[in-house]
Amino acid sequence: MINPAEFLDFLGEKGFSFASGVPCSYFSRMINEFETHQESITYIPATREDEAVGIASGVAFGGSRAFVIMQNSGYATIGDALTSLAQLYKLPMLLVISWRGLEPDRDFPEHSLMGDVTEDTLRGYQVPYWELTDEGWQQTIELALTKMEESSRPVALLVKQGVL
Amino acid sequence: MYGFEIIQELASVLSGNEVIVSSNGNISRQVYHYCPQPQIYLRGSMGLPVSVGLGLALARPETQILIILGDGNLLMGLGSLSTTSYVRPSNLKILILDNGVYATTGLQNTTSGTLNYPALLDGFGLSNIVPILRNDSIEDIKDKIQIWLHSPELSVLPALVDAKAPTLSNIPLHPEEISALQRGSND
Ligand SMILES: Cc1ncc(C[n+]2csc(CCOP(=O)(O)OP(=O)(O)O)c2C)c(N)n1
Repeated sequence: MINPAEFLDFLGEKGFSFASGVPCSYFSRMINEFETHQESITYIPATREDEAVGIASGVAFGGSRAFVIMQNSGYATIGDALTSLAQLYKLPMLLVISWRGLEPDRDFPEHSLMGDVTEDTLRGYQVPYWELTDEGWQQTIELALTKMEESSRPVALLVKQGVL
Repeated sequence: MYGFEIIQELASVLSGNEVIVSSNGNISRQVYHYCPQPQIYLRGSMGLPVSVGLGLALARPETQILIILGDGNLLMGLGSLSTTSYVRPSNLKILILDNGVYATTGLQNTTSGTLNYPALLDGFGLSNIVPILRNDSIEDIKDKIQIWLHSPELSVLPALVDAKAPTLSNIPLHPEEISALQRGSND
């Protein structure tokens, strides 16, 4: 498991001073850690994931960086925020998306179909993505951020259960 | 009074240091044509102007951020009023131009006719100015705009307006240029 405090420290060092999103139980430890990172990262709880992408877009317009946390169910609601805002206006941001609907979620049918199509929808919306795993997580994030800066567009990390 | 006339009134009292975030369709076009340039003209992301303005206000705390949006945009992103009230940046001001319709797509009715703005905004915990009404005198309108613009805290000004919009040419800037112009003013 990646230590969520180290995860936030790392993103803070990489220049993220804001975060927004809607919780997933996979991220509960990380969201708790925001309290101890208030000095470096301001977390804005959003009512919807597209709103969180809007907030991150405003942050990017202002020259700072935000990352956005969401379930893949939330990713399913942000198509227009991506295509007509963040991607269109070239606003860099990191999407941290929980990958629900896989084997550990077999008792949660509400996630099944979205779990199946998560990668297809990321590809469909042309969002470059990486699976975040315990091993080499810093390098994975660095790859993602290099792409984010070079393209000046959103990129995503997919996070399975128990990773964060 | 028409919505575009409120934008013209506002334009005449801006210091030039504000950044405006405008909602998609007619309102962005009007802001482009009547206000100092550059601003953040949203072309899509219906429902998100309040969120974008909130993020910008946080990233640029020294700058006054003005959001101008239509009732269709407001209703589509209503939850963002709660988020904004919770965060409460004092450098953020929101102007709602409620013409009762989706003017940009052909004047179809929105459902805003049932809204009671003071009650709605009070309920969200947002400090708000007495709404501009369709038959307000020009002096009253100017006063309300001044009080709103110079409010020391987060403040919302609802304006009930007539729907006619002037025919204006498309915004010639590509969205990438709109962003690049903002990056220029961040430095
Ligand atoms: C998600 C989405 N749905 C629908 C549209 C089509 N559309 C463009 S502008 C607009 C109306 C916006 O209404 P409002 O905010 O009240 O502004 P007005 O046009 O009245 O100035 C609509 C429905 C869109 N751009 N995006």
